[in-house]
Amino acid sequence: MIGNREHKGGKAKKLVGFIGCPPQAVMARFRDAELVDLDNRQPGVSPTEAKDMLPVNACAIIQRILANTLALKPEVIIFDDGYSKCDNARFLGNLIEDRVPDVRLIRTQNDSKNSAGTPICDSHLLLAEKVSLILDDIISPVDKSILRPCPDPPAAFWGVPGADEAVYELFPPGTQLLGWLRCFENRTPADLELECYVPPGVPTIFFAQTFCSKNILAKHLARKYNGLYVDSDGVLTRSERAQIEAFLHFRKRGH
Amino acid sequence: MAVLADFGTSWTKILDTESGERRIEKTKDLASFKADLATGHNTNNRARRTVNELIALGNGSMQQVDNKEYTVLDVGSRDVKYVKFVRGKVAEMNWSAKCGALTGFTLELILNYFSVDLARIKPGKGTMGITCGVLGMEQLFEAIASGQSIEAALADFTRGLATNAYQFIGRPRRFYLSGGMCENPLFLKSFPPGVEVLPLGRFVLVEGLRCEYELER
Repeated sequence: MIGNREHKGGKAKKLVGFIGCPPQAVMARFRDAELVDLDNRQPGVSPTEAKDMLPVNACAIIQRILANTLALKPEVIIFDDGYSKCDNARFLGNLIEDRVPDVRLIRTQNDSKNSAGTPICDSHLLLAEKVSLILDDIISPVDKSILRPCPDPPAAFWGVPGADEAVYELFPPGTQLLGWLRCFENRTPADLELECYVPPGVPTIFFAQTFCSKNILAKHLARKYNGLYVDSDGVLTRSERAQIEAFLHFRKRGH
Repeated sequence: MAVLADFGTSWTKILDTESGERRIEKTKDLASFKADLATGHNTNNRARRTVNELIALGNGSMQQVDNKEYTVLDVGSRDVKYVKFVRGKVAEMNWSAKCGALTGFTLELILNYFSVDLARIKPGKGTMGITCGVLGMEQLFEAIASGQSIEAALADFTRGLATNAYQFIGRPRRFYLSGGMCENPLFLKSFPPGVEVLPLGRFVLVEGLRCEYELER
């Protein structure tokens, strides 16, 4: 069944995908639907067909959005295609409209400046837990009152969600989240000033997907704040893993 | 006491901390050999504890370099890697097994094949535009087939590898070199004119292991 998922003992909910961080007001119109984040890994989805449709220099997240769309065929996609996302995603919208005409694409832009706060980014939790909570929070709000802040973070991770979640395991508990993920939790995904915020003195990894335009910002900020710039294409390689481990190791020892 | 080892793709560098003995063995001859602390491409299940190669390289260079601003490049058989320090802190590092792959291995293979005296070969006048050993080998044999002398082709080939590694580390005016290439006079002379190459020898990563061992104790 296209665009719906069967539920035990009840009628199927409409399947609604979203890309990026769409405005809350648009998301609210679909609260009764089953919401799926198309930027994130969905079980059982193969990237093969999407890869065939895209040039080789499409980043892993763009590939994933298309793969999820082709496999899940949501009835509606709420698409944040403004400054809060990226040109590649915006152009991908045209491809989706042409290749999957049954999907209704709602193009939106989220230029909100209303700060929702960043308690998850600044909490004591493990990095993987933080990212997971932030991404879940847009679908069903998370209870943030239980979060303990980490006032002296041992490290920071700047960037977008990694295509390979294994990257998060390399960081110590309390690692602060910066960059677009911080903007995402704050519900201000186009806030470039917040995206560029880096606290001084915290060893920071500036992470971007290979081929993503955010690499320009990541490399620039890494130089500016004496952090480490790492780009990764899909699965984290031994080299990328070693760079992150070594950087955190040296900084811990004052080098 | 401890046995520290850098298990490279072709060669293993070993240090016995008690006797101070250092030795280099072919990795393929050390199937049952185990170290206490180890680093390198072929470390799996060969040591009580393994240390990431970039950590070993950075640590080891800090023991040998009296400077807070420098870049150290390690050219191994299979890959190239570097660490750059600015004001005594790690500023950049990278480890490439793709561009730069098989650099040392290919060069060793080729030089053994032609049995040439490296000290007698002059640096190349040309540069083969090569990004890895395998692609470079194809160009090398093409140049020889086109009438270039073996020595001249080898020199251009080596300059191509050196240039590629030099670009990889961001083209500093001066840098330290680690690994087997420190003993290759042609490679040392194949960097762009005016660039100062300071060889640290083949035991830099092992010295980096020694730092970790001392901290463990």
